[in-house]
Amino acid sequence: MKYPVVMPHLGATGGDVKIIEWLVAESDLVLAGTALLSVESDKSVVEVEAFRGGCLIGPLAAPGSSVAPGEIIGYLIDDSAGAALTSATRPALESVRVTSTTAHLRPASTLANGEPCAATVAAKLSPAQAGKGRAAFAERLAEAFATMVLIRRYEEHLYQLFLQGLVPGTLHQCQGQEAVAVGVCSALRRDDLVYSTHRPVGHLIAKGASLEAITAEIWGKVTGCVGGKGGQMHLADFAAGAMVSNAIVGANIPIATGSAMSFRLQGLDRVAVSFFGEGASNTGTFHEGLNLAAVQDAPVIFVCENNLYAASTHITLTTRIANIAERAAAYGMPGVVVDGMDVEAVYAAARTAVARARAGKGPTLIEAKTYRYRGHSRGDPGGYRKKDEHAAWMAQDPIDRLRRRLTGDFAIPAASLAEIETTAQARVEAAVEFARRSPEPSLESGLEPVFA
Amino acid sequence: MSDAGQTWRSMGMAEALRDALRIAMRADPTVFLLGEDIGVPGGFGGGFTVTLGLAEEFGRDRVIDTPISENAIVGAAIGAAIAGTRPVAEMQYGDFVLCAMDQVVNQAAKMHYMSNGQIRVPMVLRLPVGASQRGAQHGQSSEAWFMHTPGLKVACPATPYDAKGMLIAAIRDDNPVVFLEHKLLYGSKGTRKESAHISLGTEVPDGDYEIPLGTMTGRRQGGDITIVANMLMVHRALAAAEKLAARGIDAEVIDVRCLVPLDMTTIEVSVRKTGRLLIVEEDHLTGGWGAEVAARIADAAFSSLRAPIRRVAGPDTPIPCAPALERAWVPDIERIAATAVDLCRRAASANPHPKFVFD
Repeated sequence: MKYPVVMPHLGATGGDVKIIEWLVAESDLVLAGTALLSVESDKSVVEVEAFRGGCLIGPLAAPGSSVAPGEIIGYLIDDSAGAALTSATRPALESVRVTSTTAHLRPASTLANGEPCAATVAAKLSPAQAGKGRAAFAERLAEAFATMVLIRRYEEHLYQLFLQGLVPGTLHQCQGQEAVAVGVCSALRRDDLVYSTHRPVGHLIAKGASLEAITAEIWGKVTGCVGGKGGQMHLADFAAGAMVSNAIVGANIPIATGSAMSFRLQGLDRVAVSFFGEGASNTGTFHEGLNLAAVQDAPVIFVCENNLYAASTHITLTTRIANIAERAAAYGMPGVVVDGMDVEAVYAAARTAVARARAGKGPTLIEAKTYRYRGHSRGDPGGYRKKDEHAAWMAQDPIDRLRRRLTGDFAIPAASLAEIETTAQARVEAAVEFARRSPEPSLESGLEPVFA
Repeated sequence: MSDAGQTWRSMGMAEALRDALRIAMRADPTVFLLGEDIGVPGGFGGGFTVTLGLAEEFGRDRVIDTPISENAIVGAAIGAAIAGTRPVAEMQYGDFVLCAMDQVVNQAAKMHYMSNGQIRVPMVLRLPVGASQRGAQHGQSSEAWFMHTPGLKVACPATPYDAKGMLIAAIRDDNPVVFLEHKLLYGSKGTRKESAHISLGTEVPDGDYEIPLGTMTGRRQGGDITIVANMLMVHRALAAAEKLAARGIDAEVIDVRCLVPLDMTTIEVSVRKTGRLLIVEEDHLTGGWGAEVAARIADAAFSSLRAPIRRVAGPDTPIPCAPALERAWVPDIERIAATAVDLCRRAASANPHPKFVFD
């Protein structure tokens, strides 16, 4: 089926709207929420987002031309209505985000604190996507599934080893949050930089870090990604663009901003990502970093993983607003709330933010509503959480949801997915074996390198 | 790069620092500046005119005026350094860096080590320091804190010649360098000339040269006592040395222009010659850099000492603002000279062959 993309009513006067540029190319596959084009009305410069997923096809209205509201400027095609499509009829105006004046939250922002997102918050790409596009999309989803499974298997395996006393040091795990890491990193290039936190494994694996090197680092071995200097909270893979993860809450926010400013100064189209939890949004560096990024139009994406708890303290004890993303308005940048248990929704938001950053239009704050299944760190059984809350979020498990989507909407055989899980488990066990067999660092190595 | 064959001209320290920034920025497009009020047209070129005119030459993309956000200034400098550029960040007053100590200590200083040498943080953090009748929150000399943090280099020049050559070297260094500039030494010709500044109209090469970090320099040769000092205190120590000379004491004055790396050899050689060590620092006595120098000399050259090691420093109080109180707080020429005399007298009384005659 072919859906017309129409120019929304934007200005105060209802006059024509000028097309500045298309942000995606003809025949590109887009998800709901992807910024399609930027336009200029008498009021401001805004981006028009795809109101549904599909393939963008022409004829496209030409950049530089002025178009009346309601006029067709292109099409999204999809050969069926698609059972999973929930927002095909959403008015185009609702998907417009003002970028040059104040931030405007997307509809998902009505979610209350602590409530799992509904499964249908984000519009899905139709399983009946035409031909090549559909196969490619299924393949990407399967890749995302494999990465999410790898993260889950890794974290669970380490948890079991930890209970047996076989993991040295501390452990901050991310089971439940896999869709955020994978959704965001799927929208990045290898040369984009990711700055992670004390809970880094998901981000590192999603960015393509060496499993052996991060595992050996956790075990404090010479083969570790930073030679045993870091430990569990300081993992990295510089070749993959994963910088040393940071264990001071909120500290990576201005650092990622600075890398982004540097890319812009060097004329590069790379972007930087800062991951942090909702707890970090109460630090001074959050305010200083987001504000500086905004005034500098820095190509950086701030990803707030709102898992509801800063260690044991519930967000309602520390924050008066329903959505951290609302804070974006204070800095004059877009703030987006996504279902962090839905990798496609996260990917769509990240892709839009990355495109915006690469185009020199500045930063975005994405808030992903998510949940960590395990405690804050080692030995924390999470006694501050109610069982029904835990169960409600587990029912939204991002891996289960993606599995159902792949086997249902894309008819991928369950056996193929089971094979992915088996492979992941084998990779995890091999990485642990590698780490445990690796030698300790020499004592002399601890004295350097303090200076370059 | 040496200064051989260059034309020399007279400049104050602010001008010399500006010259260093200009030269480094012309030579390397990845060098850029960020800080508060450093490039605003019609503004004052940072707190002390150092960046005056640079925005006009290099544009405001390379001379970035930031919000009042010290955490973000230092953090952004770290991120930019990691990503392949060479930022020079300015704190309007050195005291303000305390707002950003996590970024300095936990981030900038540790990144190279924590990455096991895989990333570098080539950045400079410029801090105007020193008491200048502005009270307790605009006058501290904070070098001891940074010296206590592995991974930071700490520079503290006393002359325009050193300031220029060391700042160029600091910008080209692959490590984070904390660069202290004493407010009373700027000698700026700009609009914010310090009322009590010392005129340092020394000759400075007008081209590109570097003074390697980690070196000290002798400012006066002498055989009776070694006086080590930095920044403003170097000049007071030199003035004290003239007073001492009038009393028959021949003082050697060493300018500790870089605290990390610390060139202890220069001090040790001098102390082995004189047998006496006096340390002068404009900082609180307890836990200052002088304590470190004293401990190292006691360890390495104990047998050469003919008298106890003494320090002249600020008392362990916040810096008071009243002119009379501040004058008494900061080590002055008289205290330096009197302490030196006392050290020489003590040793003289214990020495069967006294060299000096005291009145």
